[in-house]
Amino acid sequence: MAAIVHPDRNFKYWLISPAIFLLLLIGLFPLIFSLVVSFMRVTMLETDTSFAGFVNFVQLFRDGRLWQSLAHTVLIMVVALPIELLLGLAMAYLFLDRMPGRQILVSLLMLPTIISPIVAGATWRLLLDNRYGPINQIIGWFAGHPVPALWTVNPTLVYPAIIFCEIWQWTPFMFLILLAALSNVDRSLTEAAEIDGARFWRSFRYVVLPAIFPVMSVAILIRGLDLFRIFDIIWALTTGGPGTMTETISVYTYVQGFKQFETSYTAAIAFLVIALLTVVVTWAIRRMGLAK
Amino acid sequence: MSDLKITGLHKHYGTYHAVKGIDLEVPSGEFTVLVGPSGCGKSTLLRTIAGLEEASAGTVEIGGKDVTWARPRDRDIAMVFQNYALYPYLNVYENIAFGLRARRVASAEVDRRVKRAADMLGISQLLERFPRELSGGQRQRVAIGRAIVRDALLFLFDEPLSNLDAQLRDDMRIEIKRLHQELGRTMIYVTHDQIEAMTLADRIALLRDGKIEQLGTPLDLFERPATRFVAGFLGSPKMNFLPATIEAGQVALRDGTRLTLPPGRSAPDGQAVLGLRPQHIAKAGASAAPGHVQTQSIIELVQPTGSRVQVSMPLGGISITAEFAAHEVTMPGEQVRIDIDMTRAVLIDPQTDKVI
Amino acid sequence: MGYQAHGAGKMTGVPFHRRAETKLALRYLTALLLVVIFVFPIYWLFAISFKTPGEIFAFPPVWYPKSIQFNNYAVLFKDGDAKTVGNSLVLASVSTFFAMIFGTAAAYSLARFKTGGENLAVWIISQRMMPPVAIAFPIFLLYVWLGWVDTYIGLIILYTAFGLPYVIWMMRGYIEDIPLELEESALIDGCSRWEVLWKVVFPMARSGLFATAVFTFVFSWNDFLFALVLTRTEVITYTVQVTHYFGGQSNFWSKIAAMSVLGTIPVFITVATLQRYLVRGISMGAVKG
Repeated sequence: MAAIVHPDRNFKYWLISPAIFLLLLIGLFPLIFSLVVSFMRVTMLETDTSFAGFVNFVQLFRDGRLWQSLAHTVLIMVVALPIELLLGLAMAYLFLDRMPGRQILVSLLMLPTIISPIVAGATWRLLLDNRYGPINQIIGWFAGHPVPALWTVNPTLVYPAIIFCEIWQWTPFMFLILLAALSNVDRSLTEAAEIDGARFWRSFRYVVLPAIFPVMSVAILIRGLDLFRIFDIIWALTTGGPGTMTETISVYTYVQGFKQFETSYTAAIAFLVIALLTVVVTWAIRRMGLAK
Repeated sequence: MSDLKITGLHKHYGTYHAVKGIDLEVPSGEFTVLVGPSGCGKSTLLRTIAGLEEASAGTVEIGGKDVTWARPRDRDIAMVFQNYALYPYLNVYENIAFGLRARRVASAEVDRRVKRAADMLGISQLLERFPRELSGGQRQRVAIGRAIVRDALLFLFDEPLSNLDAQLRDDMRIEIKRLHQELGRTMIYVTHDQIEAMTLADRIALLRDGKIEQLGTPLDLFERPATRFVAGFLGSPKMNFLPATIEAGQVALRDGTRLTLPPGRSAPDGQAVLGLRPQHIAKAGASAAPGHVQTQSIIELVQPTGSRVQVSMPLGGISITAEFAAHEVTMPGEQVRIDIDMTRAVLIDPQTDKVI
Repeated sequence: MGYQAHGAGKMTGVPFHRRAETKLALRYLTALLLVVIFVFPIYWLFAISFKTPGEIFAFPPVWYPKSIQFNNYAVLFKDGDAKTVGNSLVLASVSTFFAMIFGTAAAYSLARFKTGGENLAVWIISQRMMPPVAIAFPIFLLYVWLGWVDTYIGLIILYTAFGLPYVIWMMRGYIEDIPLELEESALIDGCSRWEVLWKVVFPMARSGLFATAVFTFVFSWNDFLFALVLTRTEVITYTVQVTHYFGGQSNFWSKIAAMSVLGTIPVFITVATLQRYLVRGISMGAVKG
């Protein structure tokens, strides 16, 4: 075959190179850099760049506060995600059929999702204020007497506060996606099921659910990962407090890196988190065929 | 000098061998049709000629120049796509002028050429409109307009009529034929429709499985098919194939019917497949002409098609189709005497599927 | 009055047969209730921004301000705090601009040439899902070394890079929706590859480009963590500025609210113009809404 090559052969590489370069900056560099730094002993007090072995990683396993933060994170994920999913699904069904002004109502429901999470957190901080916040006032109406609940300080109330705020902001996300997914289900399938005698739950489980499953999985993946990384809302409401009660993994990492300046240790955490997430996310992306 | 010359062309898609060694030479001004069933490689071949696909092996020469590695725009070709490929955000005038503008042709010249092409295709009044306002047939004309305005050496058509309804397809076929006569350019036309192939082509290349099964004029392929595949592909309704044995100048069918081969026609004894076109099986008249044979059968199914009638009946152990004239009305269950024109019959070797 | 049918061929929901009117009324009431619940906090935020301190710190709470007064906003502008919105604007716009250019080019490469195969595509998508804090930390150290902390360029580069996976993923989808023949026809007619991008792909993908740009802008605009980590005093974004008012003293509430509103209105306006693309945009193309 001739040694001459197609004249446009390199075009595709030119197109993609600036993006690849930048992506390597945030994709590969943090991974390698964290790994390297995690093998040193760099803290606020000393900058010892000699090889220190796995000392940071060992400390990781012994660090109770780290594992607690993971537990906190998982707690939030496990509570918020199902609620967002089910509530979003219910709302999607509610809005599925036409009704007057549906478009406007759906648009209004979108508002929580598009504001900044930090603003969402700040908003709820104001809402949940023990004296001047409307939430306590409303609860007081139902209870018959004033209820000055300290949502951002009381250990039993902090998690509900965080979770309410989180659900408030992100259920509309699920709702929108599921609404679109449900709208795209071919009507003839559910009608055939109805003729065959299937009632709602049967039809849902065997006809609707399989049809919306791919979209739902992507939404769950995105939301699940967002919940794992949750930071802004926590920061706005409790800053991880009281004490370290609501410290999630992101908050803990931030504190270690930017408050305690435990540079090498933070690098170790960062490395592990990136590495583990990469494995999980890559598996999920391939499994769902998102890259095709 | 031939306008298109393909030598030893191969195209692989990974492990899939789409084009398996094609040689084709098309003289200047000829209308060549590439036809075949889906997956035969005709579109791949066309796209490789156009430069939209890279050849895996072999060469492509256009106008005497080796263009195997050249960009599409350097090959001096124009192409009409199946889905018209009109730019929805440009009006008809700009759609047609697109290629000229890309080659930096002067505005005055662009205007002249666009108007001339529009006139030729009868779309001058649509120049200001946008594609979404046009009908299917009009869009196809604009697509053709865009091709002819460039005055290229080679014109490529990729199943341009497949998206049109039957009535429109007939009209457009005539347009394209007329266009070829007026312009006299070399045209390569891909279709899966054998009627388009038969009516439009100067020469047909029947493709099968990545190779050219037979190359020749429409009449060549129709009257003198090289293989069973060619015989069965062209002609509607399809040719009947009857398993038979040749014994001493006679074709013996499975049900005992014996058909005498016409004088001048000989074939070696042995197994064979007899190919008869429905048009060569008629309702029998008083006596058989030389080379014709008459026999009996019973009508199974009757399908009128306007001026003709397709009649199914058993013969030689299978159900064959004959084509009678409409007024020779028959009913299912009727006994009928048929007249077979054995001079047009085709004998196929069952081992090689080649015509004897 | 018959049952209101949904669009042809699409599912309509619960296949029960009740009186259509009461069902609709019930649904409508529930829908309104939900909307009230979800919108109330936002209303509250806006309301506080227009209230006087006396109204803000009233017990029982004042449900709506007696009059809309812009004092809280005026304070922000006077103190120069409103400049932070300008900072956010610069950072988000410039980074979105570059992310769109580099990202769309890369998306075209992936869509039409399958550059790097599935592996590259998987890697690019996975970058979207990395935890910001883990990325921010090494980047911070790098920026310290480069002297890029608290600079515009530092954050712009980071926001651009972080926006790329999203842009690439979304634009790949939009580009794949363009019929290939349009590009092929242009190639045959005489366009170079770059001309095809400019004359065919860009016009055809215009709405997708616009929608993706807006969402990328909003993501950068709403960012908090990176801004928190990588800025100090010079290049504060409105998100970080809001947290500056948290310091214990309740009399900063008006500032929190006003600043939040200043930072939120632009988003509301831009997204409002994009209703059609909302679902596809936020689901990252999972649903072609």
